[in-house]
Parts: sequence; structure tokens; C-alpha cells
Amino acid sequence: MKFSENWLREWTNPQWDTNTLSEKLSLAGLEVDGAEAVAGQFTNVVVGHVLSVEKHPDADKLNVTQVDIGEAEPVQIVCGAKNVFVGMKACCAKVGAVLPGDFKIKKAKLRGVPSNGMLCGATEIGLADDGVDGLLVLDSEAPVGQDIRKYLDLNDMSIEVDLTPNRADCFSVQGIARDVRAISGVALTQPFDIKDMSGDRACTQTVTVSESQACPKYLGCVVTDFNTQAKTPRWMVQKLERSGLRPLSLVVDITNYVLMELGQPMHAFDLAKIQGSIEIRLAKADEKLTTLDDKELTLKEDTLVIADDSGAIALAGIMGGVSTSVTAETDAIFFECAHFSRLAITGKARKYGLHTDSSMRFERGVDPMLPEKALNRALQLFTDIAGGTVSVFNRIISEADLPKPVTIELRRATIGSRLGVEIEDAQILEIFKRLDFEMVATDAGWMMTAPSYRFDMSIEMDLIEEVGRIFGYNNLPETPVLAPMVLNELPEDIQSLMSLKIALVQRGFNEVVTYSFVEEVKQKLLEPDLPYVLLQNPISDDMKAMRTSLFPGLLQTVAYNQNRQQPRVRIFETGLVFYKNDSDPTGATQVPMMGGVIAGQVAASGWDEAERHVDFYDLKGDVETLVRMSHQLAHIRFEACQHPALHPGQSASILKDGKEVGIMGQLHPSLVKAMGVSGHVYMFQIRQDALMHMQIPAAQAVSKYPEVQRDLAFVVDENLSAQALIDAVVSVKSEIFKAVELFDIYRGQGVDPTQKSIALTLKIQHAERTLQDEEVEALVANILKAAKQAVNAELR
Amino acid sequence: MQEQLQTIILKAQEAVSGVTELAKLDDIRVQYLGKKGELTDMMKMLGKLSNEERPKAGQIINEAKQMVQSILNAKKRELDDAKLAKQLSEETIDVTLPGRDVDVGSLHPVTRTLNRIETLFSKAGFDIETGPEIEDDWHNFEALNIPETHPARAMHDTFYINESTVLRTHTSGVQIRTMENKKPPLRIIAPGRVYRCDSDQTHTPMFHQIEGLIIEKNASFAQLRTLLIEFLRQFFEDENLETRFRPSYFPFTEPSAEVDIATDLFGDGRWIEVLGCGMVHPNVLRNVGIDPDEYTGLAFGLGVERLAMLRYNVKDLRQFFENDLRFLQQFK
Repeated sequence: MKFSENWLREWTNPQWDTNTLSEKLSLAGLEVDGAEAVAGQFTNVVVGHVLSVEKHPDADKLNVTQVDIGEAEPVQIVCGAKNVFVGMKACCAKVGAVLPGDFKIKKAKLRGVPSNGMLCGATEIGLADDGVDGLLVLDSEAPVGQDIRKYLDLNDMSIEVDLTPNRADCFSVQGIARDVRAISGVALTQPFDIKDMSGDRACTQTVTVSESQACPKYLGCVVTDFNTQAKTPRWMVQKLERSGLRPLSLVVDITNYVLMELGQPMHAFDLAKIQGSIEIRLAKADEKLTTLDDKELTLKEDTLVIADDSGAIALAGIMGGVSTSVTAETDAIFFECAHFSRLAITGKARKYGLHTDSSMRFERGVDPMLPEKALNRALQLFTDIAGGTVSVFNRIISEADLPKPVTIELRRATIGSRLGVEIEDAQILEIFKRLDFEMVATDAGWMMTAPSYRFDMSIEMDLIEEVGRIFGYNNLPETPVLAPMVLNELPEDIQSLMSLKIALVQRGFNEVVTYSFVEEVKQKLLEPDLPYVLLQNPISDDMKAMRTSLFPGLLQTVAYNQNRQQPRVRIFETGLVFYKNDSDPTGATQVPMMGGVIAGQVAASGWDEAERHVDFYDLKGDVETLVRMSHQLAHIRFEACQHPALHPGQSASILKDGKEVGIMGQLHPSLVKAMGVSGHVYMFQIRQDALMHMQIPAAQAVSKYPEVQRDLAFVVDENLSAQALIDAVVSVKSEIFKAVELFDIYRGQGVDPTQKSIALTLKIQHAERTLQDEEVEALVANILKAAKQAVNAELR
Repeated sequence: MQEQLQTIILKAQEAVSGVTELAKLDDIRVQYLGKKGELTDMMKMLGKLSNEERPKAGQIINEAKQMVQSILNAKKRELDDAKLAKQLSEETIDVTLPGRDVDVGSLHPVTRTLNRIETLFSKAGFDIETGPEIEDDWHNFEALNIPETHPARAMHDTFYINESTVLRTHTSGVQIRTMENKKPPLRIIAPGRVYRCDSDQTHTPMFHQIEGLIIEKNASFAQLRTLLIEFLRQFFEDENLETRFRPSYFPFTEPSAEVDIATDLFGDGRWIEVLGCGMVHPNVLRNVGIDPDEYTGLAFGLGVERLAMLRYNVKDLRQFFENDLRFLQQFK
């Protein structure tokens, strides 16, 4: 909320400059977002009276004026503005004036005619653009020669506070002033008296309230016989503008003024347009209403409306309807000043896509005692400016439904233990006195009754917060949390995600963080068969689908970097993927994944090696590193698989103990263009939980006896996987057969073109003695036999 | 005999001096010291000498043998040294050429910041808890004292999946889950991705939070403030860091505060907001079955990107999610 500093100071005026005031407000919980001068810096500009206007002899667009600036002689000023006229009061910069932007006014000659000053438009003296092409027209009563800064009250700041939802009581100058008083202790004075404006004439507009719970107080009155030509006075326009409100017409301006001044939303209807009686009721199903901003709404039955015989004419507490709106022709007004309950208004405006000053206040709570005062204030302002006759007030009040004052016990001991500081009773009492609470002492502390405008008071902690807020959070003593010293769990069989990340970083991967919502089209291309979760209100159409894999984000990042001359990309990401699952309470199975992509050359620069593009096995090495870190390579297998995102001949399913935990492979060549990437791109994704479990080492004795190695080259069918041969070999169980390693693949001379040679090293060792040749030969023979039987492998 | 030996030595010396290969040197050794070598022959002649002459002659022949041997040895050393020198010279490389290794990658600055914060709190005995990002209404709102009609719901710019499911707007749901499942006292932090339907220069629709929760008997607001000041000073490694606690409002804490730190980094004001905090609202404790008269809760939440920006001089929030390698690689 924005307000004028000078307006606030009419209510309470502590000896603080603007910065101090702002700081104090912020530290009391009314966060000041900024303070802006209402006008630019300038000097020597006064009210001028244009005595004569004559055409410039040598310039069509210029006039020569004589202007009375309150000095002995009028000054002659050449002026180019079209709206200059004889008798006008205008802002006149005298010779020697300095306007915003350090623009100095000097004696000059314009096309040969002397000019001693300048008549100014609004923006030329740093005021907001008033939309007038030409000079700022001042009121005819403006005192000639008076300094404009004084006349227009320009030594003022617009202060913007960011109010939290609990402080509805501060949505007005009066409310801010109350809190300033609480902080400063400086007295608060309402700068006007409230008179009872209720007249003698009957109120011709009948009203019934059918929903007294939603509308426990409804005041209305009719005003007639006023000057329909009356204009909003400049002082009111200024205060509204400095509070961020646009002046519209006298009636609207007055309701807005009272809203800003006291915090009470009001509404004015054109009496002649109201058909029959007014009823405050809930909307009927599919009832229509066109609001003041020309939106046609179809109402829901839970919406409180002001209705006449024709139907709804206003959304209660939110916005009026266009059919009964006040216009320039209106000559009789029905003023409404009501208290609507928070629950009746909350969420309703948003449902209709509306957000008004009125709904914002009613949703958070408006002082139920305020309508009388506000209606009197508005009518007084109105009749002072436009005259008129006020009818008797129509008062419909349901005391039982009005919010009751809240009384809460505040215990001395709780203040100390919760805030962590001991505060003297006298200081506590002073704080609540300044906050308008009523206090009755009890054994443990006090019974506190909150003022009617404090909707945020309901429990003892609310009171303790008030004590802390006014005492000052920054005045609390420094005291550490006292808690038993407990050693946290440190499970050794869980691999930390961080160590896996660091392993990838050490292998040249850069970690990325991409959005969890992705472009639906791309997701469908990569994983056409997986159902996904959609956002109801995405930021944009390409951020609509919750990702079912890390690939869309990773590939988008590859594309982004390739487009920025980064030919070599190695990236990874960790995070949740979301599989639609209606049986889960959240509608999705949310699985932590780790995934990565590589593309481009193997090394950044190879001065002694030929450059080489990354391939499947580079990435497989990276994945195997992750697996090795948790010592579970033996549990993991890679099997050729088919995946819509991957090259059918270069894709592997990653299995842990036979269950798929991830996939890897080359991005399907037909998707390269659609994903916006270039070249061969290799990617993997694996469930984090498959990598997290480690085995706590149980050390085995190291054999003192020599290890025997046997190299065997097998000739097998070209299509046979290496894994199949190895499986056959390790199917031979023996306590001396320690390991097998693949060390060569050969195709070419000496091997049939339909076949290939796979060379394996067998590692053979006995734990307790040196091996006999015969034992080794027997083992090798068994292995050869098994390989022959299982996969028809022949020794080369 | 003396002369004869002298001649042999001279001859051997001459022969050795011209040698450039080890094999040649061995030939010379055989010629003089081998079984049929010249000095060995001389030794064989000792038998022909008288008993008186024999020791003397034996001694000088031995001396001659040693002399020749030492000539041979010296030459061998010389040849070995030359060979090694040649090898070393041939093997000399340009040590300034770049090494053969993969690049080292980088951790994302958000991870780096999260890790720093997690480490600080872990050392003080906080456990790290995580939870789902698609969250139900209860854990994201209701349990946190934000009923359907609460104006605070509008503050949250929530992404909706449907009426009762949202993308979590904070990690507070993790606190609820933890309190539902574990008995107090508790000390946890909950890091993770959160989502708000807002996107401009200073907002991204996804960002990271860390929230902290302490449930203890008699924990006080002053203690919370002390803990957070200490945290901020340790995080920024600045003992003189100025902080400011402003009263604020969150439905799930009371009293509530926002915390600003003094910084010149953004040049647009002295105070920058870095976190929100407060004492857990009694309603929230009741919602998870903790008696608010027995236990009090201290809670705080901070935006990780904001801290990363301040710590690492990042001027534009959006850089964190563009993932430009030229940006990321600055965080090695």
C-alpha cells in the first residue's frame, strides 16, 4: 500500500526524517518497499496569473504573455503551450529558477522577443504526467506569487509499504498512524471531527439483509439536491494520487479517500437506477452481473451480492455493477457502508479474476466499528464540497453476528520463556496501552482485550509477538540454543549422493539444474508410452508436463550449449522424475534419478593423439564408475534393449539383480533434429537408490601364493554378446578361479567373417598353496567345455 | 719382468682408450686377464722362478693385473655414463606441454551452496530430510495452518496439478512429514526444489529452499535469532556481518520474522532479505500431535539461490537454470 507521508503526519508526527520513519516501520513489521519524492527538485517556481496573451510577431506557434507573479511589475514570457489563456493561473518559473534536471531559467530572447521566465507543464516540474498537452492549470483561487512547492504541497513522499496479510488494520493512513504511535509513543490525533450526518428526511431506499452472518452491519443513506458539477478539490486529488489511486469523479474519489484515510470500503449507487428494494443475499445459480470494469460474470451460489428487483447489482465487498454506477448525470446517490465478514468475501474475488482495494481489505478484516464513522466522514466531505441533503441513515445491524472483541490471557512467564528475554511489567503495559488494548491484571499476568480492528489476535502467542515486535526483535539478547548433545546416525552402507556427484565431476561432468516441468511434445517423442502429470496453470505451454525422465532437460541443455559454440558437452543432473500413478496419494510415483549426457570430442585438446568422438563405451565407463563406487558391479548387468529415445543398436538396459534400474545409449538418430542437438549424443539415467546401497567391506586374507594367468582367445558367432561368453565361462565354479577379464576383440584375417575372436584372461590362484599344473589345466579344460556347450565357442 | 709388465699395461691402456663399445672392452679383458690372457700367462710363469723371487714377482704381476682391471673399470664407467647420458638426452621432453587427462567438471552453484549450508547445520546435529515435490494439500497448506480460505494461499502463486495436489511451494511439507513420523526433540533441515507460478527477472518458477526445524522444550525466539545470526556469519565467513530481524507474517509461525543482511552487492539498497523464520505456530504442532505447552518449535527457511548470488557474486538469478557451461565451469 502506498500513502502520502504528509498525510500520515497530519495524524501523528514523530520527529523522524523519512528514512528513519521508513526504518522504524520496517522494524515494526510494516515493511517499507520504498519512498519516492512526489515531485522533482526545483526552486523559484511560483503561482503566476496570465494577464494577457498575444501572438508572437514572428512565430506562429508562440505567444507573448504578461504574467503577474506577485511582484511590482508583471513579467513578459514567451510561451509555446496551446492551452495558455488570459486569466489562467499557471506555474511560473522565474528567472533564476532551477528545474529538475538542473535546467536553469535565464533571461532570453525567443525570435527576437524578450522572455523572462517560463510557464511550466506538470512533467517540467517533475510531477506525474497529468495527461494535459501544455501547461499545468492551477485553481483560479491559487494565490499569485506563492511558491508552487508550498501551494501544491510538493515537499512530500509517497511511501510504499508491503503489508503482510495479518495486518489488515494498517490498510489506511489511520492504521499506519496507529502503529507509528505504538512504536514512537507520540500522540495520535484525528485531524478532523466526526459529526452525525444522519438527516431528517426519510431514506427512500429500502434495504433487507437476508444473510446477516455474511453482512452483520449495513448502513445506507440517500443524498439528493447536490451540485452535480462539483469537482474533486486539488488537495484530495493529490492525496489520492500520492496513495496510488487515480482520481475519477467526486463520488468515487470520496469513497476512495475514506478507504485510504480510515480503511473502510464503501460503494455509491445511482439511486435512480436501483429498481425497487435492495437485498443482501447470495447469488442465484447462473445469475449474471456486469461489473464496473465491464466484465460480464456468471455468479456462483456462494457469492454474496447486493441485489435489487432486477437482480444482482454489485458483488458485495468486491465491486459494483455497471447498471447502477454513478455517472456525470447522477443527481441522487445511495451510499452503502457495510461490514462484510471475512469468510463471506475470502477467495471470492480471485474466483472471478478480480482483485480490488475493497476485496483485499474485507478478505483480511475491516474494523466492524468503522462503518458509522466512515459514512459520516464521507458525507461530511461530500456535502462540504457539493452540498446536498442527506437522508436518515438506514441501519441494519445484527449484533450477534458482529465479530466480538477478543480477550486473551497473557502470562508473564510465557513472555519470558518464548521470547527469551525478561521484560518489566511496566514496559509490557505501556506497549499494550499504545496498541489500544484493554488490560485487567490476573495472578499470572493480564487479560488482554484487543481493539476491534485487530483481526490477527486470537491466541497468547499473538500477544507475545506484539510484545516482541514493539520491544524490537533486534534488542533480544544473543543466547544459543540449548539442547542435549546427540551424535547423529552415520550409516556406512549408504553412499552419499554428493560422492557420486563428485565422481562424475572428476570425470569431467558439469552438474546442471533444469526445470522439472518440460515441453510435452518433446517428452512424448522421448517416452511416448509413459503417462505423465500435467500442470493446471503452467508458466507457459512448453513448461507444462512433469518430467518422466531427466532427458528432456539434459538434451535442452546440450542444445543450448552447442548453439553457443561449446562442441564438447558433458553434463549430469540429479532430481525427481514423476510417473503418473493414481494409486499414490500425490497422483505420482516420484523417483530420485541421476542422469547424464555426453557429446563431442573425448578430450578437450589432444596434441599427441588423434581427436575422437565420444561413443557408447565412453559413457558406459562413466556409468560403471558410479556402479563400482558402491562395490556392486557384480550385481549390475547391461543388456541390449529397445527404447524409443535410443538407437536400437546402441542402447542398454541397466539391470540390478535382474531388475531394470536405468537405461543408457545413443540418442535415436531420428530424434537428433527434434531435440535441437547435433552429432552423436549419448545419455544415461539410473535410479539413485540403485547406486546408494554399499557393502561394508569384510576383508579376506590375501593369498601368499603366485597367481596363474591364462589367456584364451575364443572364436564365436559375430552376433554373440561378450557377456554371453563370460557368463558361460564363469558358470564354471571353482575355488581357484578368481576372475576373468576381457582384453581383446579381433575380426579379420584368420577369423571367419561371420565370426569374431574374444580374448579373455583367466586369473587362477589358490589361497593356501602353490597350484599344480594339472589343476590349472583341468580348470581350463572345464571352461573350454562350458564355453563350447553354452555358446559354441571354439579356441582359436 | 718389470719392463715386460709395464709394456703390457701400456699396451692395454692404449687398446682401452680407443674402445667405444662395451663388447670391445670385454675382448680386451679376455686378452689380458682371461684364461689365456697375457697377464694370466705371466702368472703361469711364476712356477719357474725361485722361491725367493716368486713372492715379489707374484706381487708385481698382481699389481699389474689390478692396474689393467682398473683401467678397464674406468673405461666401463665412462662408457656406462655416456650411454646413460645419451639415453637421458634422447628421452628429454617438453615438460610444459599439457598433461593427458580429462577435464574436471563442476558442481552446480546451487548444489555447492546447499552443501555448504547442510554441512554447517549437520555439524550442529541437524539431520537432513527430504520429501516429495508433488505434494498434497494437507502437507503443503492445511497442516501448516493455511486453510483453504486463508489469504496467504494467494501469496503462494501455487502450481496446481488438481484441486488437492500441488507442486510444493516450500519444503515445509517435509517438516510436517518428519514431525508426523518422529518423536521430539528434533533438529532437521529440509533442502530441495520448490515451485511458484512466477517468472520474471527476479523470479524463476522453480528454485531451491532449505528449511530448518528445531523442536525442543523451552526453545526461545532469542535462541532462534542467535542461531541464524551465527549461521549467516559462518556462511559468509564474515564475523561483522550486519543483520536485521523484521517482524513478518507466516501462517505457520508466530512470532515470525524476515531477516535482512547488509550488503553492497546489488547496489540498490543496504538491506537484502535472505530468510524467513519464526516459532512454530501452536496449531501446526497440534496438527502433528505435539503438545505446544510441552514443546516449542523454531523454524526457518531460506532461498538457496539468493544466498548463492550473494556468496558467488551472481547478478542474474536466471543464470542458475540456463546451465551455460561457461557459467557453470566457474564453479570448479
